[in-house]
Formats: sequence, structure tokens, C-alpha cells
Amino acid sequence: MVLAEVVQYVATGLLVGGVYALMSIGLALIFGVMRVVNFAQGDFMMLGMYLTYFYAVSGGVDPLLGALLTIPPFFALGWIVHRSLLARVTGGGDPQRQMDAQLILTLGLSLVITNATTMILSPTPLGIRTDYATQAFALGPVLLNQARSYAFAMALVLAVAVYLFLTRTDLGKALRASADDPEAASYQGIDVRAMHGLAFGIGIALVAAAGGLLAAYHPIEPTVAGNFIVLMFVAVVLGGLGSIPGAFVGGIVIGLVQSLTLLVLPFQLQNTGVFIVFLLVLYLRPQGFFGRRTRAV
Amino acid sequence: MRSLSRTLVIVLALALVAPALFIRPAPAAEDVKIALVAPLSGRWARQGQLKKMGADMAIEEINSQGGIKALGGAKLVLREADAGDSVEKAVSAAQRVLTREKISAGIGSWLSSFTLGVTEVAERLQVPWLSLSYADSITERGFKYTFQTSPVSSLQAEQALDLVTELAKKNNRPIKKAGIVGDNTAASMFFYKPLREKLLAAKGIELIVDDVWTPPLADATAIVQKLRSSQPDIVFYGATNFPDSIQVLQKVKEFSVKSPIQGVGAWLVTPEYVKTVGKEVLDNIQTVVASHPMKGQDELVKKFKQRTGEPFMTQDPLCTYAHVWLIKEAVEQAKSADPKAIRDALAKVDISAGPAVSAFYPPRVKFDERGRRVGATPLIVQWQDGEPYTVIPTAVATRPIASHK
Repeated sequence: MVLAEVVQYVATGLLVGGVYALMSIGLALIFGVMRVVNFAQGDFMMLGMYLTYFYAVSGGVDPLLGALLTIPPFFALGWIVHRSLLARVTGGGDPQRQMDAQLILTLGLSLVITNATTMILSPTPLGIRTDYATQAFALGPVLLNQARSYAFAMALVLAVAVYLFLTRTDLGKALRASADDPEAASYQGIDVRAMHGLAFGIGIALVAAAGGLLAAYHPIEPTVAGNFIVLMFVAVVLGGLGSIPGAFVGGIVIGLVQSLTLLVLPFQLQNTGVFIVFLLVLYLRPQGFFGRRTRAV
Repeated sequence: MRSLSRTLVIVLALALVAPALFIRPAPAAEDVKIALVAPLSGRWARQGQLKKMGADMAIEEINSQGGIKALGGAKLVLREADAGDSVEKAVSAAQRVLTREKISAGIGSWLSSFTLGVTEVAERLQVPWLSLSYADSITERGFKYTFQTSPVSSLQAEQALDLVTELAKKNNRPIKKAGIVGDNTAASMFFYKPLREKLLAAKGIELIVDDVWTPPLADATAIVQKLRSSQPDIVFYGATNFPDSIQVLQKVKEFSVKSPIQGVGAWLVTPEYVKTVGKEVLDNIQTVVASHPMKGQDELVKKFKQRTGEPFMTQDPLCTYAHVWLIKEAVEQAKSADPKAIRDALAKVDISAGPAVSAFYPPRVKFDERGRRVGATPLIVQWQDGEPYTVIPTAVATRPIASHK
């Protein structure tokens, strides 16, 4: 195995991991603030892919721009879903019963979204043809796929933007306060319910944007979420439940491990490396990479 | 006087109406129900959708031509069940559809892994089952109710290898190194197995890339990188899951891999490929299939395209269309909608003309004792100008084969 090949595997892993990271941030934010495990997260990503597709075919919008344009409508959608559904099973009462209700609700929502999309938009896979999906930047012998490189850069920008929003703005601080101690936050005049709506809206908007970036090089179909949802959860747990930087690092690690696993294991075991690392982290550091220090956002 | 005439009118009216009260119309022939268990959701849903299009077209034709004549014009009715995206779901769908009401025969379930499970249910419930799936093991279990119209995977591997080596010799590019790239679904595995174990070695070909994965594929870079660095003279390609296949083909273009690609199955010739990767990537890629429109089937293809809006017809609707017609022929011969009688008729059937053989090469349907179609021979289909054409055998080719650039 020559060095160039190893570098290629590392570069590929980083690029793949970048989009996993953006997908996972939204999930981590929702869990960190609301303590809701959103099984429908991947389905919102799938809807984001479809919206990006429709932007592309109806308005000729490039998917990289389309990914950004999915953010406002999906923020609104997330806020509405929170107001109309999730708010009924969050924010008080027996925590165990609430957790059960949330799990059933988000799982049900996932099934409804997948099947409704299959019925309305048909299972026929769609794709956005872009020149950069099949072109690469050549760094010597190492090739970096252009679509994945752009997606990685945008994922990085969005992740930094979310981080700055949470740490540098009053609204972000209010959101973090609601995550740390909802009761104390409400005594300070923070509308915790509104903060939950905000967190859910941002979480859904981020995953929809990740879907938009993915649509630049990945086929779109109603069941595409199934390929990614488990990896999203693994990234969030690896990084430390509810931690935004943790989820980002978790996503990158998954991409890297998936790629580097192929240096030693056959293709059929591509995800085996991910789960071995996952088990090792749970065993050696159960709180995840960033679990202790930045458990809350 | 007035009341007398009124009574008379009533009596006359009753006299006219009375016969109608006692004469009942002849009972309508009972519908003959066919099950279609195919993936209508999940990652193989498109193939299920295409199968349903073929079945619907055949049923409409049969019913508009008077239905099953041996059963007094009984209509054919389709009962579809969603096989989903796992063997468990496919088996459960088959169980549900076959036990809910009387089903005379069944068709399905596209992916060999699903068909293996579904035919176990059909065998247990004694319902004859027609399948286009390729895996050898489908008809290696001694089942009496399973009928496989496609040439099995191992036969396809043998014939595809013969063909590509002959073509390579003609073009002065002998094959010395080969690659196998694809997923581990049953039909693909049965195709790779004889290549790995004997066929390649027998022709003096070295297997230099052998990468098989479980769908979905996370990323195709590593696979295509291997192809780029090792440059096999032929790549046997079996990625049945559309997103996986798209990733591989995009990378093939990105890394400028020049090795010719020989696909394994009809999943590689669906219209979505043109829309997603473009015809320039697809042109000259060829695949071995059980069925594809052949010379002289222009009218059938035209009708299908008009009905469905699809840009071309492929194996899945064509085979399912023929399967429905084949069941119709079996019911006519059995003169019964009883599944056992239909099974016996299918076991004896020997047809060489008509819509029931339209999907098959050679155009004859006769099953051996295992339930395999006697003489089943695969076709080679090649992408040319953004459309897949039958190129081999030349007797039924719709275009001559184009050599790899």
C-alpha cells in the first residue's frame, strides 16, 4: 500500500464524514435542548433532498445553493411540527412516559413521511446531474471529488455558523440555558417552549441542508434516510449526547473509519470498523468524545 | 267498472313482470386472482413498480379480449403485495396475500433473495409461482410449485464470459485480468461464484479485483480506485441497489476508468440511469439479462410506452407481462382456477408462440422437472445513445453491438 493511496483513503473519509457531521449536528441539537430522540431526522433530510431537486428542475438552482434555500422552509416546518406534535409530549410530566411518547411519535412520523413520499412522489429514484459530481480536484496523485469537497466546505461553514449562534448570540445563550436547566431558564424569563421550537426548527433545517448537499451527488428516493440514520445516531453518541462539536467530530470520525477500514477489511465489512470504534468508545469513554465538558449545547 | 279495469291493468302488469322475477341472469364467472409480490417500497421499489406496469398491461389485454374462455369469460384480477426492502417483509407480504383470499397463482419477487423466501410460502400453501429471479438455488430445492423462466445466474456467468472473451479476441484485446465488483444479493453471488471458482481460471484469466459489499454502499472511492490502479480488462458488475450503482458509475467517470463494464442483471438498464449519470457515462456499458425487447416487438414496446410514459421497456415489465399471459394459458389448459390444477398445467405447458413467450429467448416455454425453463438463454443488452438495446443474440438483436472505446 503506497502512501498516496493511504492519503486518498484519508481524504475520502474526511469528505464523506463532513456531510455525516452536518447531518448529525441537527440531531445533537434537538437531543441536547429537548432530550428528544428524533427518529424522523433522516426523513427530513430526504425531504430536503427532494426540495433541492425541485429547486434544480423548476428554477435551475444549483444544488449547493438549493441546500441553503432549504433552510428557511424547513426551519418553519420544524417549528410547526414541534408546535403541533412534539410540544404535546415534551415539557413536563412523567419523564419516562414522555420519553416513550416521543419515541413512538418520531418513529411514527418517520413511517408516515417515508410512505407518504413514496405514494405522492413515487419510488422512482431522482438525481440532479451536475458536472462537479463526476469531476475531481487533483492534488498530485490524490483526487478529491468536487461535489463532496464543496459539500464538505459548506457543511463546515454551517457548523461554524451554528456554533457561533449558540455561543455568541443572546438567543443562542437562551437556547443553551433552556438545555442546561429549563426550570431556572424559565425563572429568568426565557420561554422554554419557544426555545424548544427554535431548537427543533434549527435541527430540521440543518439536516435538510445536509440533504441538499447530499443531493448534489447522491440519488434521491423516499427510503434514502435508511442509509444514514444509524450513522447519525452513532455520530451523536460518539461525540457525546447533545454536544454540537461532539456530533461534528463524530461524523468526521465515522467517515474516516469507514474509509480506513477498507485498508484492512473487505468491503462487506465496511461498517464493521465504525461499530468496533463505537463499542470501543462506549467502553473506554461512555460519555463520548465531548460528553463530560460540553454535555449541553 | 273503473275498479275492474284497474285490477285488469295490475294483473297484466304482473303477468309481464313475473317471468323476470323467476329468470335469473347466468352467474358471472368468478374472477381469477393472481398475486404479485414485488418491492413497492424501499430501495428496490422502482423495479416492483415496473413489474406492476407489465402485469397491469397484460391483465387489461386479457380481460378486454374476453377473459379466460375456459371459465366462461372469467376476468383476471391482480392482488399486489409489497415485498418491501427485506426478506422478512417479502415473506410476510406473501403470507398475507396468499392466505387472505383464494389466489390461483403468483408472480415475484424480483430480487432473488426475496424470491427464495416468498417461494417457500407459495410451496407450503401450494400456489404455483412464476419468477424472473436468477439465483440457481430458487429451483434447486425440489419445489413443485416454483417456475423460473430466466436462465440461472451460473449459466448467465458462463455465457457472458464466453461472449466477452470472444468479442475481446475479435477486437485484439484479449482478456487477461478481470474484476468483480458488486453487492452480495443472491443473484449476483450466484453469478460471481462460478467465475471465481472455475470459469475465469479455465480461460486463463486472473481475478485481480474482487470487492463485494452489503447494500447500501457508503462510498465507492476505494473500489474505483482499485479499478483505476489495477486496470482489469473486464469488470463484472453487480450493484443492484440504484444509489450504490450511481456512486460507482460517477466514480468511474471521475477516475477515468477505462475497463469495459459487463453488468449482471436488468437493474442496470432502467431509465433513471440516463437522467442521473448521463448517456456519455453509460454508452457501451453492457449487461446480461434474462429478457429485453427483441427484434419484432416494436408494437408491444410502443403500446407499453404509450400506456406508461416510460421511455423504453425493460426486462421487469416485459417478463411480468409474459408471466400473466402464461398463467392465463395455464388456466385455459387446466380449465380451472384451482392452484393445484394450474400448477399441473404449468408443469406440462409447451408454448412457442403468443404473448406468453414474448419475453423469452428462445421463444418457448416448457419447464423441466426442477421448474426451470428448458433452453433458457440470456440476452446481452448494451447502452447506445442513452437507450438500452438487445445486441446478442444477433438473431433477435435490435442493434449491432458497439465495440468498447
